[in-house]
Amino acid sequence: MPELQFIGKPINRVDALEKVLGTAKYVGDYVLPGMLIARTLRSTVPHARIVRVDVSPALKIPGILAAITCEDFVDQGRFGYPIADMFMLAYQRVRYAGDGIACVAAENETALKLGLDAIVVELEELPGVFDAMTALDPQAPIIGETPRDAPDFPRGNLVTHYIVRQGDAQSELATCPVILEEDYTTLHQEHAYIETEGALAIPAPEMSGVTVYAPCQSPFLNRGNLMRTLGLGEDNVRVIQPHVGGAFGGKDDLMYQISGQVAKLALLTGRPVKMILSREESIIASYKRDAMHMHIKLGAETDGKLRACAVNATVDSGAYTSITPFTSWRSSIHAMGPYRYDACAVDTDAVYTNNGYAGAFRGFGNPEVCFAIEQAMDELALKLKIDPIELRLKNCLRDGDTTAHGQKLGDDVALVECLEQVRKLSDWKRKHTLYSRLSTEPAKPGELRRGIGVAAVFHGMSLGAEGADFAVSTLEINPDFTLTLTSGLTDYGTGSRTAFTLIAAETLGLNPDRIVMPRPDTDQSHDSGPTVASRGTILGGNATRIAAERIGSQLNQAAADLLGCRVDQITRHGELFISPREEPVTFENVVEHAHKMGLTLYSRGRWSPPEIHWSMETGQGKPYFAYHYGTQVAEVLVDSGTGKVEVTGIWAVHNTGTIIFPQGAYGQLYGGITQGLGYALMERVDYDKGYIQATNFDEYLIPTALDVPDIEGVFVQDSFPAGPYGAKNLGEPGMVPAAPAILNAITNATGRRIRSLPANLERVLLGKDLLKEGSSTACKLGLK
Amino acid sequence: MKLQFNLNGKLVETEASADATLLSVLRDNLGLTGTKEGCGVGECGACSVLLDGRLVNSCLTLAAQVNGHKVITIEGMCLPDGSPNDLQQAFIEVGAVQCGFCTPGMVLAGEALLAENARPSRLEIRTAIAGNLCRCTGYQQIVDAIQITAQKRQEKKTDA
Repeated sequence: MPELQFIGKPINRVDALEKVLGTAKYVGDYVLPGMLIARTLRSTVPHARIVRVDVSPALKIPGILAAITCEDFVDQGRFGYPIADMFMLAYQRVRYAGDGIACVAAENETALKLGLDAIVVELEELPGVFDAMTALDPQAPIIGETPRDAPDFPRGNLVTHYIVRQGDAQSELATCPVILEEDYTTLHQEHAYIETEGALAIPAPEMSGVTVYAPCQSPFLNRGNLMRTLGLGEDNVRVIQPHVGGAFGGKDDLMYQISGQVAKLALLTGRPVKMILSREESIIASYKRDAMHMHIKLGAETDGKLRACAVNATVDSGAYTSITPFTSWRSSIHAMGPYRYDACAVDTDAVYTNNGYAGAFRGFGNPEVCFAIEQAMDELALKLKIDPIELRLKNCLRDGDTTAHGQKLGDDVALVECLEQVRKLSDWKRKHTLYSRLSTEPAKPGELRRGIGVAAVFHGMSLGAEGADFAVSTLEINPDFTLTLTSGLTDYGTGSRTAFTLIAAETLGLNPDRIVMPRPDTDQSHDSGPTVASRGTILGGNATRIAAERIGSQLNQAAADLLGCRVDQITRHGELFISPREEPVTFENVVEHAHKMGLTLYSRGRWSPPEIHWSMETGQGKPYFAYHYGTQVAEVLVDSGTGKVEVTGIWAVHNTGTIIFPQGAYGQLYGGITQGLGYALMERVDYDKGYIQATNFDEYLIPTALDVPDIEGVFVQDSFPAGPYGAKNLGEPGMVPAAPAILNAITNATGRRIRSLPANLERVLLGKDLLKEGSSTACKLGLK
Repeated sequence: MKLQFNLNGKLVETEASADATLLSVLRDNLGLTGTKEGCGVGECGACSVLLDGRLVNSCLTLAAQVNGHKVITIEGMCLPDGSPNDLQQAFIEVGAVQCGFCTPGMVLAGEALLAENARPSRLEIRTAIAGNLCRCTGYQQIVDAIQITAQKRQEKKTDA
């Protein structure tokens, strides 16, 4: 590959300036003349039949301009992807404490509160399902819409059932001399973006349509929902994404409901309507990472060679499907970890409960199963008295291997390299030997104990065989010689706009400063599917490269014509186009000449990943076109008197392919690891009989700057042929192995194994959770 | 209630109810939206401003408390020509910004520290920003930005 000018070089984020100056506009910062404010009345019970909702008393209150229920939408506002089981406002039933029932628009806060109070709601409470493990019992109340004997999914409380099958795992396990069999559980996790959800709708003249400013994951999904539920055509609904204050997968379904609600209210009142959620409402109403229960059985030879793996998992999807069919499929595909087996069986049930609802969150199903399988590997290593890194090296996937899914891998499997590098970087051998020896001696009261742990990850790129996968970018050269680049994929802080800008600049040999990338806007960019599941860089980057190559070939034609030579004779120096006679012309000259020749300086690039396939019946196929590989080592200091865990070091080695935007890549890695650290040690979403317990940052703790050590990250940059300029995905996998690495380190320090998240003080100290059941049953909704 | 205070070097006057917070006065009355609301209970620090040079959560500060005092918000941090100051520039150059929602508060937390402690250690920086939550960055590049700025300011002082 020729020397790169911009990719991988220290270049600043395109939107950093306005963010440090405080001038970047987030949806809450918009103020329009005559703007109304809106809020949603939410269910205070987890499961009930809606007997009556009457909003007419609210409309009599001065300052209330409109009040709506599901009946104000087409088909009661039904939406949802891939399964449409949600409504813009609850229809017939509420299914979780926090489900939206009605919504009002008001002139001011005082009227808004009076209006919400005036709405008459009559609910008939129904029994709920609060334990996912009982959701499929024959007598369990049905939470979803379909009966138990429906032919397909969802079926009763069963949302999906996925399998992976390689050989006959049970018979293989029966003959293994060493067996490790354990249960692992993870809790829900709150995204905790610092910007809560919100949306602003502006009606078009004569109420013919609506423009919605919404910091959502996918403006096109949002627009589609708005079109269907408001009964408007494509030309009459526009969704613009302002700056997004963090998303991590969390700004899908609830954002679409809010968008629908403000859009409808704007259409009814003819005035702009804005809704911003309080932190409490955000945590109560929004979806979480799913909670999972996993039963794992590993079989091995006494020398540590893995032979078989069986995983039985239950996913708590909560009240609605949301994106669970994708996340629990990803969980199933990754449940056995990046290892070779002779036989493997995975069975995953995703079920409905009344515990809020679950949806997309960074890692998309992989952090849950990685937590389980990587602890199981550690337990097996202890049992066999083999060094945990050695055990992984002995069994990990390598170039050309066939996975448990029957997929033949290419030559991009850099896991061995990642493991060897992280071992060296973390001074593993010395520390592991030392800490393992010390932890066998009884601890003195209050003694501080050190421990070190490792975890490995593989992470399929993009959506996989479950979803339609493509992205579209466009490029246009403007009269002032700037270029406008659009992508249907969004940037919620990840840096993808910068990465796409660099790819376009590199491909065209033009200074990145020339390229302007507007915020995503359905009127300007093209649908590229949702920005989830590690899709951004690979899909959007390749689409951008193609768009740039196409416009570049037009420029080369113009340059050749201007210089009187053949296209293949042109060389480039910076932005100059140079003829064989060493005669240079500028980019501006070339563009002007192209216009004279009548060439159109606009292009569109579309990219789809290589073909993939999956059989739901056989549990075999090629689930993803390729994988990211990585390893992390964590070192902890445990206070044996209090159970307090301090993470004192993290070393992360990830096979990312070419790094496009280095400061962004490191930021993704550090940020992902920090979310994994929170998941490991402190973040707990407890549903007590369907009522969420922590509703703000005083109760739901996320890591502060003092909880995280300085992280040492290394990227294994072997160029990946299918990625733009050799790049792989990165945003999600950095988060995935952090929690199991930390949990394994805690065991190394204390000798105690914690199989349920989070590893809080009492679990570390006593081995059990002191949270009393039913200690706090009152729903702290306070939203009425 | 009539309020008068020095905001980013200029005297401002505004009306606020007795229970109004400084945050709501800044955002709703004065239109300075660089100060963000993240939690409303003083836990996240997105609403951080400097009150007489001290870092405070403006969501927990009553508007009445600033009457006659000096308040600096993110809008008052830039240079007179509107370009970023050295700390803001360091945030840009080391990649301390992702979604940007915590950034104004982080910049102010950094400034408050540097005003008090010209040579902070990394642990002192981490302690100083521990009241400001960031969900994107893992804090490392934010610590880098503050540390680099401290070093550069020291060098400048030595040169002068």
